[in-house]
Amino acid sequence: MTSATASSGTVAASLPAPPGLLRRIWRNKAVIVGFGLLLLILLMAIFAPWLAPHDPYHQDLTNRTVPPFWHDGGTWIHPLGTDPLGRDYLSRLLYGARISLLIGGAVAVISGFIGTTMGMLAGYFGGKTDMVVSFMITTRLSMPVILVALATVALLGGSLWVVIMVLGLLKWDRFAVVMRSATQQVRSLDYVAAAQAAGASTPRVLLGEVLPNVLPHLVVVVTLEAASAILLEAALSFLGLGVQPPLPSWGLMISEAKSYMFFSFWLIAIPGTLLALLIFSINLAGDGLRDLFSPEGRA
Amino acid sequence: MLVYILKRLGLALLVALAVSIIAFLLLRLSGDPAIAIAGEGAQEADIALIRTTYGFDRPLPVQYVDWLGKSLRGDFGDSIYFKVPAASLIFDKLQTTLLLGFLALAFALAISVPLGVLAAIYRNSWLDRLCLAIAVIGQALPNFFFALLLIMLFSITLRWLPVSGSGSWAHFVMPTIDLGYYAAPAFMRLIRAGMIEVLDADYIRTARAKGLPTSTVVFKHALRNAVVPVVALAAVQLGYLLGGSVVVETIFALDGLGYLAYQSITYKDFPVMQTIVLLLSVIYVVLTLASDIVNAWLDPRIRVA
Amino acid sequence: MKIESLRRAGLRLAVGSLFTAVALGAGPALASKKDNTIRFAADQAPESVDPFFNNVRIGVILGAQIWDTLIYRDPITNEYKGNLAKSWKQIDDRTIEFELREGVKFHNGEPFDADSVVYTMNFVADSANRVTTQQNVSWIEKAEKLDQYRVRVTTKKVFPAAIEYLSGPVVMHPAKYYAEVGPKGMNAKPVGTGPFKVAAYVPGKSITLERNADYFKDSPKGAAKVDKVEIRFIPDRQTQMAEVLSGGIDLIMHVAKDQAEQAARVPHLQVVSGETMRIVFMQFNTRDDTPTPALKDIRVRKAIAHALDRESIVKNIVGAGSRVLHTQCFPSQFGCTDEGAPRYEYDPAKAKRLLAEAGFPNGFETEIFAYRERNQTEAMINNLQAVGIRAKLTFSQYAAMRDATRSGKSSLTHQTWGSFSVNDVSASTPVYFTFEADDITRDPEVRDLLVKGNNSVDPEVRKQAYREGLARIAENVYSVPMWSLPVFYVASRDLSFSAYPDEMVRFWEMSWK
Repeated sequence: MTSATASSGTVAASLPAPPGLLRRIWRNKAVIVGFGLLLLILLMAIFAPWLAPHDPYHQDLTNRTVPPFWHDGGTWIHPLGTDPLGRDYLSRLLYGARISLLIGGAVAVISGFIGTTMGMLAGYFGGKTDMVVSFMITTRLSMPVILVALATVALLGGSLWVVIMVLGLLKWDRFAVVMRSATQQVRSLDYVAAAQAAGASTPRVLLGEVLPNVLPHLVVVVTLEAASAILLEAALSFLGLGVQPPLPSWGLMISEAKSYMFFSFWLIAIPGTLLALLIFSINLAGDGLRDLFSPEGRA
Repeated sequence: MLVYILKRLGLALLVALAVSIIAFLLLRLSGDPAIAIAGEGAQEADIALIRTTYGFDRPLPVQYVDWLGKSLRGDFGDSIYFKVPAASLIFDKLQTTLLLGFLALAFALAISVPLGVLAAIYRNSWLDRLCLAIAVIGQALPNFFFALLLIMLFSITLRWLPVSGSGSWAHFVMPTIDLGYYAAPAFMRLIRAGMIEVLDADYIRTARAKGLPTSTVVFKHALRNAVVPVVALAAVQLGYLLGGSVVVETIFALDGLGYLAYQSITYKDFPVMQTIVLLLSVIYVVLTLASDIVNAWLDPRIRVA
Repeated sequence: MKIESLRRAGLRLAVGSLFTAVALGAGPALASKKDNTIRFAADQAPESVDPFFNNVRIGVILGAQIWDTLIYRDPITNEYKGNLAKSWKQIDDRTIEFELREGVKFHNGEPFDADSVVYTMNFVADSANRVTTQQNVSWIEKAEKLDQYRVRVTTKKVFPAAIEYLSGPVVMHPAKYYAEVGPKGMNAKPVGTGPFKVAAYVPGKSITLERNADYFKDSPKGAAKVDKVEIRFIPDRQTQMAEVLSGGIDLIMHVAKDQAEQAARVPHLQVVSGETMRIVFMQFNTRDDTPTPALKDIRVRKAIAHALDRESIVKNIVGAGSRVLHTQCFPSQFGCTDEGAPRYEYDPAKAKRLLAEAGFPNGFETEIFAYRERNQTEAMINNLQAVGIRAKLTFSQYAAMRDATRSGKSSLTHQTWGSFSVNDVSASTPVYFTFEADDITRDPEVRDLLVKGNNSVDPEVRKQAYREGLARIAENVYSVPMWSLPVFYVASRDLSFSAYPDEMVRFWEMSWK
């Protein structure tokens, strides 16, 4: 199935914990920088209530679009200024990190669960199961994701949880594809056969022998899908069909500020750059992980 | 080869059917289409009349078959909001989106091929790292944000390009860049990897040892072989570009299928929404089929898989 | 992290100021001036160009450019002048006779005469034809032809505001053409007598008007000075602003106060503002099947009225020229008053008390529909949040929102109404309270009072009836009147135009300096 495997890149079989892992991690700059940045943003999100100088939902109509402290008219009370409804920008950015991370994580978990189960079952059993799963994957790949997500959210009404559910139920394809081929490769390994011969039940074999071996690939796909989910939510919210105001989603903040961008450029520049930084860090970490786990894969 | 094509065709038809069922169900989700068509202020009697006229009171599978039949004959119903046949509305805008898709693909390839080749030839040098850095940054930039930056730079500040609309070639420049840049990194990596693999191969080393100039080696042999997986990816990416054009077209008010899709979703115009989802899916299926066949033709090993 | 943000900040400062500096210093685009065209952006695409089958502002504006009415109200002096009618006289309580202008032709060559008037008015008066805003035509009983250039119009009941309506929303269609193609055909290829004809129309995208060289000389509107008007439907306000900044569009309206203030500082732009007759109010769905049953309790509605800080929103967000309203009509309209209507001052503590009394000490969840001025909706949502009412926003185009509200799917609706610029209360309050499609309250007493106001001859009787009706609406808090809307226009400095309180854009008067 060329179409299904085209996007999986080079998936080389590998043992989960190559020797000297720690040392290799240390030398792999991508992982360090990527996870480092990610950790920074995660801390921002977790400690938002303590770091944020104001309530992100508090509107102050007398102080609209105050510029950041480095402009004239800026003030340290609102270090990054205020938005068109007078809400403190720094606080909204900090809380916005929560939304992006929550979405990335939740969608990755839901779609990861669905896709991994499907992929592992298809890869392990082959035959009819594989045919059915592959058919489902191809069908899903033939649907325009953004359109379907937009239409569904429009029909169900936009909200944080609707977005998570819709994206989670749509984005399992890459998980399924990668897990399927990874499982196929692992299926033929010695200790799997040994476990089967010893009479272990299928779930036990799958969870105990197969899963640990395909874990590296799973982790890489999780990072990529999380990043993609964050971007999708930002785009949906930007179009007005995602998270609803007054939630401080970064995509929504850009959308709310776009009429003001000509006069107050920072209103879109800051959340846009933060979004890019977040995606960048996740992608970097994912790339680094891929290099770590399959050194032959890197040309 | 023929057997392969027939098998693939059969599969493609099944997938198209499955997608059509999903497209049909998706919009029945939202509630009563009879009310949407009847419009505001309609009495119960009007709604009931519409229900029987359009056959909304029949069982779902019957409605589906009927809808499928009509669609195959090109009758996609009337747009509820614009009050013209959905088909004419859609095929009008399709041209613009197809043009945009091809241009974006061309743009992506135009940047990624040279960068990928350079990165492969000078692998592990600063040039290679720079190319990879561009790739990673490119994939991190959200396309709607990039669009706003492009507008600020090219329309407001430099006044070289118009902000929105679809009247002239100038209207397509920013949308092309905005849609295409995201696909470029994937191609770049693929080309780089493919080139490296081929450049390391024996027959290339032989050619070089024989004294053939590097450029001949690169273009005649290495690139031709590295291109194979790119063709497959291109077909698939074209599909994504067509679907992903919603955001780009809406920001630039480019009058294509994506913008129409956004409008029909906002106006809850079901016949149009349904038709667009169906149409795009069928295009995907066709593109994937074409990509599979081309791949199989170029690389006979795949036919057996 | 701090250093990161400082460096980023420095970069952004440089970039930001570069953009602003260059943008402010850049010169105007000369394309429009050169080809004597005006490029305008509208944010709602009309469902139909036929003025009887849409009720959005751009529809009303197009109506005045492409068609004419029997009578024309001068926007400055408020005097009624003959347009397609040369003169008129009241025959009795319910009948008016018109003498029509001769020698006027429609854009397709068809001559204008009594047949046009009779066919158009009888067609739109027939409720089976489902004209969108019944209020504009339901007062017509019939029109009869006396001879080729004389007609009589009879109203169902005594209706003093008839002249107002005949100078506003009731335009004249060509009888033969309209009979042949109907509203659908009229939408596809619009034909009228107006100062502009339609050169091209792409539904949902744009409409191009070109000057009608044969426009009849005696029209009080006057012939157009520019050759073409290109109107593009751009729902996105940021795109509209970008276009006007980069010279791609010459005129935009309904700009938010903040942006208008900043646009005023841009050298090649001008900002014009003024009050309009458009009123903003919050509609409550109090029907039995309302999605938010809490709204049926008057204490909840009073709480909402007390929770909204209207003065502050008007001062800070809505802008100069707007005022807080206490009844659901525009103060200049005949019959509009807030005498005797209770006031609900901003008092969030009282709001919370009322909610607790009604059994909602922790507030409740609900939904609010809106279609424009989203920043105002968000300010309202914030006010409600402060007393515990969590309102989720559904933002859509007008038609979708109107239909949802009419069919009872809404709870709270952030409504605006321009009264089709008719300066009489019959065009505003009754739309929402006389058991027509937009009435989601259905109070028979209110209806009776308003209908009495619509259909009495004696102005004092009318005023009294309206006063009582408006007071009753306010006592029961069937809706919360909020404020009137000013409109801000941003245009190229070289465009000569004026703004009028009837929110009508008169392209035929505009020209390039």
